[in-house]
Amino acid sequence: MTTSSNPVLEVSHFNVDYGVGAAAVRAVDNVTFTLERAHVLGVAGESGSGKSTLAYGLTRLLRAPGIITGGDVHLHLGTDADARRMDLLAASEAELRAIRWKHISVVMQSALNALNPVRKIGKEFDEVLKTHNRSMSKSARKDRARELLGLVNLTPDRLERYPHELSGGQRQRVMIAMALALQPELVIMDEPTTALDVVTQREIVAELQKLRQELGFALIFITHDLSLLVELADEIMVMYAGRIVERAPALELYRGPRHPYTLGLMGSFPPLHGERKVMTGIPGSPPNLKDLPGGCAFHPRCPYAMERCTLEDPMLSPIEDGQRTVACWLHDPSVSAAVPVELRRKDAALAGEAG
Amino acid sequence: MNQIPANDAVVATTNGITRGEVILEATDLVRRFTAKGEGGLFAPKKTLVAVDRVSLALRAGEVVAIVGESGSGKSVLSRLLARIITPSAGTLALRGTPIDLRSRRTTAYANEVQLVLQDPFASINPVRRVGRSLERPLRIHGTPKDQVQARAYEVLESVSLTPPQQYLDRFPHELSGGQLQRVNIARGLSVRPKVLLADEPISMLDVSVRLGVLNLLRELCDAHLLAMMYITHDIASARYIADETAVMYAGQVVERGRGTVVIDAPVHPYTQLLVSSVPDPDQLTHQEHRATTANAVGFNLEGCRFSPRCPHATELCHTSEPPMVELEDGHSAKCWLVADAAQRTAVSMRPGPSSEG
Ligand SMILES: Nc1ncnc2c1ncn2[C@@H]1O[C@H](COP(=O)(O)OP(=O)(O)OP(=O)(O)O)[C@@H](O)[C@H]1O
Ligand SMILES: Nc1ncnc2c1ncn2[C@@H]1O[C@H](COP(=O)(O)OP(=O)(O)OP(=O)(O)O)[C@@H](O)[C@H]1O
Ligand SMILES: [Mg+2]
Ligand SMILES: [Mg+2]
Repeated sequence: MTTSSNPVLEVSHFNVDYGVGAAAVRAVDNVTFTLERAHVLGVAGESGSGKSTLAYGLTRLLRAPGIITGGDVHLHLGTDADARRMDLLAASEAELRAIRWKHISVVMQSALNALNPVRKIGKEFDEVLKTHNRSMSKSARKDRARELLGLVNLTPDRLERYPHELSGGQRQRVMIAMALALQPELVIMDEPTTALDVVTQREIVAELQKLRQELGFALIFITHDLSLLVELADEIMVMYAGRIVERAPALELYRGPRHPYTLGLMGSFPPLHGERKVMTGIPGSPPNLKDLPGGCAFHPRCPYAMERCTLEDPMLSPIEDGQRTVACWLHDPSVSAAVPVELRRKDAALAGEAG
Repeated sequence: MNQIPANDAVVATTNGITRGEVILEATDLVRRFTAKGEGGLFAPKKTLVAVDRVSLALRAGEVVAIVGESGSGKSVLSRLLARIITPSAGTLALRGTPIDLRSRRTTAYANEVQLVLQDPFASINPVRRVGRSLERPLRIHGTPKDQVQARAYEVLESVSLTPPQQYLDRFPHELSGGQLQRVNIARGLSVRPKVLLADEPISMLDVSVRLGVLNLLRELCDAHLLAMMYITHDIASARYIADETAVMYAGQVVERGRGTVVIDAPVHPYTQLLVSSVPDPDQLTHQEHRATTANAVGFNLEGCRFSPRCPHATELCHTSEPPMVELEDGHSAKCWLVADAAQRTAVSMRPGPSSEG
């Protein structure tokens, strides 16, 4: 496993349920990962696989009937001398309020809807800046707000606008700018660029990369755009039915997926060149959390499923000298059958370097 | 007159609609907004032209994809076509009948022209169960009582929300973003509209589910002659599904073409920038883009809107607005370079010695 030299977030065996008793469904199941300072972790996965639930669970923003039913989450705050490790699941509401925006900020998936409709954009910025920085003067706050809008390619006159006067992508950019306002250690962004054209997206992603290097914050970036993640993220985590099914360095995941679900995702991108033809994606329908199949949750849709897959649930296990992890029986050392070639491919260039 | 020749020997007809027939036509639509400028109470008012003389024809059985910059007026255009907002100028016609834009939108119009809004979190009533949100338009539309539920099941299944009974009883906040987005599409489709205006309908779906929905929409166009406008930032999906693609910049359509030509061989510098900015992990060493950032320079309202960012801009571009020039059948662009080149080609087409590079 990677050596946790300087983690900002440690998550272990984290579970979230919606509802209790017989009606409960497990939306996040046994999730464990560590995020290093200044790293970008990309999270991809099926719609409804628990990505947002994970993000809100970790930051204690979950709403009823969502309940955290297990695990540990620790946030490392501050640097060297005044560093402290905070137990996020044990923190009180007051403690959480004190760290929100300042140490950890979240851009919610419903960002388009997250702004107060009767408040001007400038007022929103002002509130965030004021609450955590009482000494800042009014004009300093305004300057800072203008500067933040500049980071996301918006002109300062947007401060005078109400949310409904902005386009979808303009609102998303306002949310991204607010998340960065107080320079937190950890930023979580849930589908922050769905309403951005690719030119603007590229500019903002470049800006995020630059700021991350300057300020050293860590970023969890949730998106369905795997190509974007390959450019932005250090590592990518793929979720299916509440679980992490694969985690690997970004480029390696793209060039050589190990989980059949990830492989299916890679094969579902309509091409940007060449002939147009009908594509089918991954056969079957997304799993029903209320009634998950036995064994591996993906097995009914998996072209490689073996008998074992229908009986036993694979654990997320290290493969390839611990460089990456996958939850799939095909890669289990005890399985004698050879791993299908498309699930053990390495990029030629990379393999050459390694050898 | 409104028809383009169908390729098929058999011209499909459904409900008296012919494939290729123009269902909804917009001519020179304009929408302005006035807003206060920056700097206190007495700041001068600013007028923003969100949609600037846009003409568009949505045809039975066809998909028109709209791509373009964030804030370029795509959502405003879709709301104008749905008659949720009123244009400042321009005309609309539904199946050849001009619409009186001062009158209120009729129920018939609302039924025939369905809008799927960009933001599912804001467009579905949060205190209503999904089932009720789906059944309401069906009732208003006059679907027989005993068929309402069956139809709701059917549309949920068609967008991979299975088993449907599990979703009908939920509140919107009990669904994931992508699930809610699919409820939004299902609701738009449930009343079998003739025109679907879909504003970023699948931006929160993973690629596999996304393909399923794209295929569904394509099938509705092919089999039921739905006319569709598909607004998206996903250029590859526009290429996958569209019969025509239009590119918007600063309220205007700057390039349009049939088939895949706009994406495969863009001629407008903005379209070129857009297409080359699609994330492509196979080419991680991206060339630096020469065009500058949009909002850093603003728009040029005198000449070409894109000229302040354009690496090829000349004096002419800064001072005078280029015309929309047709390059070849069904491919046109609004750019002086193209207009010039087109002229030059016309000149060089005169017989004479040709040199091959
Ligand atoms: N309040 C709730 N009650 C019951 N189930 C819920 C509730 N909220 C979410 N769920 C379910 O939990 C699962 C995970 O939802 P989540 O929003 O985390 O998915 P996601 O991975 O973010 O999906 P998307 O990519 O579509 O946004 C979904 O199947 C969803 O239907
Ligand atoms: N009600 C309004 N009042 C004032 N300005 C508005 C209003 N609605 C939209 N605008 C402005 O009109 C322009 C076009 O907005 P629109 O929502 O159509 O953009 P869009 O192309 O859909 O962008 P995105 O891709 O970001 O969703 C934007 O600059 C926006 O700020
Ligand atoms: Mg989500
Ligand atoms: Mg929009």
